[in-house]
Amino acid sequence: MNKKLKVIFSILLVALFAVTVSACGGADDVAMVAELEAKLAEAEAAAAAAVSAEDLEAAQAALADAQAALDAASMVEEEFLTWYQYDETNEDPASDERVGNEYLRNSIPEFNAAYEGTYNWVNRPKAWDTMYQELVAAVIAGNTVPDVIEMGSQWIPLTVKNGAVQDLRSWAEQQEWFADLDASAVASCTGLDGGLYCIPVAIRPHLVYVWADHYPDGFPDTPEEFMTEAARLKEEGVYAWTYFGSTAYGGSGASRMVWSLISSFGGEYDDGDGNLYLTSPETIAAVEFLRETVALGYNPETVFAGGFLEEDSFKDASAGAIPTGLFGYRYINPLTAPNGTAYAKGSSDDMLDAIAAGDVILDHMFAPEGTTPGCGNDVAGFSIPVGARNLEAAYAYIGWLMTEEQNPKFVLGPGAGYPALTTMLDSEEFAIPFYQEAGEALSGSVCTPYYGTLENRELAAELIMNSVYKLVKEDPTADIFTVFSEAEAEYNAGN
Amino acid sequence: MAAASRSESIKLWFRKSLPFWLIMPTVIVLLIVQVYPAFYTAWLSFQERTREGWQYVGFENFERMFAAGIFEESIGHTVNFLVGYTIITLSLGFIIAFLLKSSGKLSGLYITLLFIPWIIADIIAGLVFRILVVPEYGLFNNILGNPNLFPPDGLSILTAIRPTPWFGSFPFPPSPAMIYLIMASSWRALPFVTLLILAALQTIPSEVVESAKIDGANYLQLTRYITVPLILPAMVVALFNLILGGMNGVGMVFSLTGGGPGTTTYVLSYYLYTLGWARLEFGQAAALAIMIAIVNWLLIAGVLRTTRVTERSI
Repeated sequence: MNKKLKVIFSILLVALFAVTVSACGGADDVAMVAELEAKLAEAEAAAAAAVSAEDLEAAQAALADAQAALDAASMVEEEFLTWYQYDETNEDPASDERVGNEYLRNSIPEFNAAYEGTYNWVNRPKAWDTMYQELVAAVIAGNTVPDVIEMGSQWIPLTVKNGAVQDLRSWAEQQEWFADLDASAVASCTGLDGGLYCIPVAIRPHLVYVWADHYPDGFPDTPEEFMTEAARLKEEGVYAWTYFGSTAYGGSGASRMVWSLISSFGGEYDDGDGNLYLTSPETIAAVEFLRETVALGYNPETVFAGGFLEEDSFKDASAGAIPTGLFGYRYINPLTAPNGTAYAKGSSDDMLDAIAAGDVILDHMFAPEGTTPGCGNDVAGFSIPVGARNLEAAYAYIGWLMTEEQNPKFVLGPGAGYPALTTMLDSEEFAIPFYQEAGEALSGSVCTPYYGTLENRELAAELIMNSVYKLVKEDPTADIFTVFSEAEAEYNAGN
Repeated sequence: MAAASRSESIKLWFRKSLPFWLIMPTVIVLLIVQVYPAFYTAWLSFQERTREGWQYVGFENFERMFAAGIFEESIGHTVNFLVGYTIITLSLGFIIAFLLKSSGKLSGLYITLLFIPWIIADIIAGLVFRILVVPEYGLFNNILGNPNLFPPDGLSILTAIRPTPWFGSFPFPPSPAMIYLIMASSWRALPFVTLLILAALQTIPSEVVESAKIDGANYLQLTRYITVPLILPAMVVALFNLILGGMNGVGMVFSLTGGGPGTTTYVLSYYLYTLGWARLEFGQAAALAIMIAIVNWLLIAGVLRTTRVTERSI
């Protein structure tokens, strides 16, 4: 090896050594605190053993100094790690998650100011459709997990089955805000073993966003009225509705419009005993109805294309209505009303403005005479993963979110639903046309989670949506009972 | 004397074992990144994850996998995809390589342009191909949506239903989405295959070709008896690559069709992704991974046997 190479190698080794030493900085802090604690103990012993007043004075001064030094050393902020589907560093106004991104951008400094010197909130953004899988993988592999993770109630069985989230019931029940939580929201966060695996913050029912000009008499109340209106709109060159009808995203369409429709017809997905049950007359009637609307061309083709392309038809008013979650306003923008009015801020304000202006109205799904309209419902909340390093910070964060000041910010922002804290709805933040409209729309319907007693929700959703797609789009002549029976047999055989 | 002989024997031992120590780092890396995961996957295929941890379930994961309706269907889609993908890519690669070899002018530019698809990530390529055929506003929609070209109502790739199968439940003919997926995947793999064949073409000794010409061989005979046999090893390597890439690749399916419309592009690799990553059924996913690995081995062995290409000739 020539001299030059030796020098380069030496420099590299020194650099590597320096990096290693600096990486061990945390250990130095711990050692320093331990040393100071030992000094404090010595000073305490000296104070206790002091015989003269002078000795005592000197010992007390030493004790005060040692305590001060220890306090200063202990003032090292602990990292508090969260996983959100939002990214505070993404300031792109066109980002799908701009609402959540902005929320985090504002909240992180507020939290860090409130807990200055104690906790430092660090967020790691994750993709919404793989966040929980990553969590499970991290728990199994023993890797770093967040102290708190944003949790949708539909993910509870998957994460609980894989031992990825903690039961928070005993801690939560001791908190002041627990008694104020909506009972159905708490139930949504409850596992089959009775454990509370998330703290609900926002309840997100499904309803229908409607262009008022396309439905001047309001959204129809019955399927028959809908068919009449749909025929009229078709003549005008407008689709009656648009919705997520694709099999993509693991059959998540089963939890969206399809569930609102089936539950409005009085149907269900489960038999109340953990089995898939799709062959009830009501469920079959709902699918027959949907099949007819597809055959008559009352929806755009994008309904089946996935990728949320179907929303475009509502955005440009080429479709009259879109059944979706209450949270849909975050994503469905910018808007152009049938009368040409543009709501083009490109933010969630667009839908809120359109509602305030009366161009968009909110309504519930139609239902046959004598049946109460149904709709899907899920809960947005927070879980503490198994293996979270900073439990105290996690508890502090959840408590902070439940305060009167912080709770509406989350619920109105990324939560995009109703507050799970029942008394919170009375606060002035929620006194806006959007919530009034939504409240009226939902007052006449019963919203329930689509999965009922089904434990393997991912498999169930996929089987349901594949079957529905086959029946309404791919093979409209297939026997509904037979196709659904096959799906039932496959699910129930494995459970 | 004894000390000298001991030193000699140590030197001899060191000289003899040196190759072993030199390849040791590679062996360790291979053990960590290949052998251990393979054994772990095999172990996993007999386990199920519960709240308490892993639980031995015997062959239950395999039974569940075989019982799932989508499993049989995805085998059919995989066969369609693999056959279409390998035939189209190899044929086009062969033709383009031939053209590039025969036209010396600007071949450098052509090769550079040809390589563009290869440097694009398959997820991105899938998204771009998807945008091209989005119903309502896709770039190709004016052509595809034309009822005169695609009667009776035009064609919507991402939502078109599957044709009636000709052979029982086997999904043939493939759906428009599957054909489009094959085309997109071939487009992306084409540069690699072309370059491989082009490199092989350039190694054919001109003397052999000249001799054949003197002996009166025409163009077709030259291709059949000289060119193809001499580039066959390279073609087999390309075929291996295509088979393994086609069997295991999931990025393009994920971003272009998401297995849809319906389940018409649900290939085995996408099913594996769904089982392992969407449903977190690690045991079943491992069972399927083992099945796919066995099929891969069988395919490779079959190709080797059919083409009679041995390691020596490659």
